[in-house]
Amino acid sequence: MSDPAPNAAPTMPGRVLVADDSAVNRMVLGRLLAGLGHDVVEASDGTQALEILGGAGDRIDIVLLDLVMPGKDGFEVLATMKADAALATLPVIVISDLDDLDSIVRCVEMGATDFLPRPIKPTLLRARVDASLADKRLRDQVHSLLSMVERQRTELARFLSPQVAALVSSSDGEQLLAGHRRAITAVFCDLRGFTSFTETAEPEELLGVLREYHGAMGRRIVEHEGTLEHFAGDGMFVFFNDPVVQDDHMLRGVRMAVAMRDDMAGLTAAWRKRGYELGFGVGIAVGHATLGRIGFEGRHDYGALGNVVVLASRLSSQALPGQILLSQRAFATVEEAVIAEPVEGLVLKGMSHPVTAWNVTALTEESAVA
Amino acid sequence: MSPDVDVSRHLDGEVLRALIDMVGDDPEFVGELVDTFIADSPAQLAAIRSAIAAGSPEELVRPAHTLKGNSVNLGAPALAAICRDLEAQARAGSLDGAADRLTAAEAEYRDVVEALGVARQRRWRIE
Repeated sequence: MSDPAPNAAPTMPGRVLVADDSAVNRMVLGRLLAGLGHDVVEASDGTQALEILGGAGDRIDIVLLDLVMPGKDGFEVLATMKADAALATLPVIVISDLDDLDSIVRCVEMGATDFLPRPIKPTLLRARVDASLADKRLRDQVHSLLSMVERQRTELARFLSPQVAALVSSSDGEQLLAGHRRAITAVFCDLRGFTSFTETAEPEELLGVLREYHGAMGRRIVEHEGTLEHFAGDGMFVFFNDPVVQDDHMLRGVRMAVAMRDDMAGLTAAWRKRGYELGFGVGIAVGHATLGRIGFEGRHDYGALGNVVVLASRLSSQALPGQILLSQRAFATVEEAVIAEPVEGLVLKGMSHPVTAWNVTALTEESAVA
Repeated sequence: MSPDVDVSRHLDGEVLRALIDMVGDDPEFVGELVDTFIADSPAQLAAIRSAIAAGSPEELVRPAHTLKGNSVNLGAPALAAICRDLEAQARAGSLDGAADRLTAAEAEYRDVVEALGVARQRRWRIE
C-alpha cells in the first residue's frame, strides 16, 4: 500500500545548527525541527555559530542561518564557511523576510543552498531541510566512495610491482599483458634453513623474521627497479628487462643480489644471536621467457615462464649460504663486472647432466659504483 | 494592567492559532515563547533607544529587525509595522522621526504585553 500523504515521507534525521539572535525564533525552529526528528544545536550570533561549526563542523549536517545578528551577521558566517574547505559544502538555508529579496539573492550568490521566508511555514521548513539533507547525504556518499577508490588504488600499488601497476594503465599495456617473448634476467633467492625454522619458531618470531627479510629485500628490489613476480614465504622471484626494457638488466640483477647479500649478512648475524640459523642464497639466469598475464578470471598475476626461470630457481636451491650462483650464460654476460669463482659439477633437478655455475664473490670496483 | 485592553487591536488571533497548530496544539509552549518575547524585547527597545541617542542608524537596524521578526511571529502586527518602519529608515541611513516611532513602539509594546496576558488566560484562542 502506498503512502497516503506524499509530503509525509519519512524524514532523514540530521543535526541542524540554528543560528538566530532571536530566542523566540530559535525556540520555534527548535521545536519544529525536533518534531521532525532532527537534532538541534543553537547559536545566538554568528561568532557562536562559527565556533560550533569549527568545533563540531563535521557533525553538523545543515545550517539554518538568520542574516541579521549582532557581532558577525549571517553574511559573514556564510562567507567564512565558503572560504573554509571543511565547511564549504555544508548546506546553508538562509532565513529571511520575504520583503528582503536583495539579501536572499546576495546569499544565493555567495553559495547559500536555499532560503526560507519568515514567518516560518512548517511545510516549507520540512521540504527545504529534507532536500538539503538528501543532497548532503549524496555528497557525503560520493565523497566516501572517492576516498575508497583512492584507498584501493594506494593498496593496489602496494600489492603490485610498480612496473606492473604502471603497465596496467599504459597504452600498450593490454598487448604486453596478453603475452610476449623477451630476454630477461631471472633472480631467485631464498633462505637456507627456513623450513626447519618454521617448524620450531613461534608464529611471532616467524612473522618478525619474515618482516625484516621482506623489508630489506623489498627496498633493494625497488632500488634496482626489478619486477617482483612473486614471493612465497622466504622465496622471491624478481626479474629484469620486463615490462620496462633495461639495457643493463643482467648487471642490475647481479648488483641487486650483491646488495641483498650485504644486507642479509647483517640480518643473519642478528638472527643468529636470537638462535636462528638462516642463510641467504641466490640463483641468477638469463634467457628468453614468455611474459604476460597468468592466472584465471578474477585472479591474474603478471608472470614469466620458461627455462630461464626454472634454471634460476634450481641454482637458487643449490646455492650455499651467502652464494650468488650465476648460470654459465649469465656469467658470460657480466664477466667483466664481477669477481666470481666456478662451482663445478652442480646437479640440478630436471637437468640430464651436471652444470657449472659461477659464484659471485664481489663486484669489480668499476661496476660496484652504479 | 488595564482590564479593558482591546486584545484584537494589538494581536492577530489568526497568527496565534497558526502558531499553536504549528507547534502541535501546545498552549504551554506558546506561553514559553511569549515569556521569552517579554523577557527579550525590553533589551531590543533599549538598543533602539541608544542607537537613536548615539545618532547611529547602523546600530538601529538589528534590534528593530529582531523585534519586528518576533512581533510577526507572535501575531503583533501593529508593533511589527512600527519596527518595520524603523528598520527601513535605519537601513536608508535616516533617523528622522525615529524617536517618535520609538515612543509609539514602546506604547504599543506595553499594550501587546497586556493583550498577551489576556490571551494567555484564554489559552491563546482569542477569537
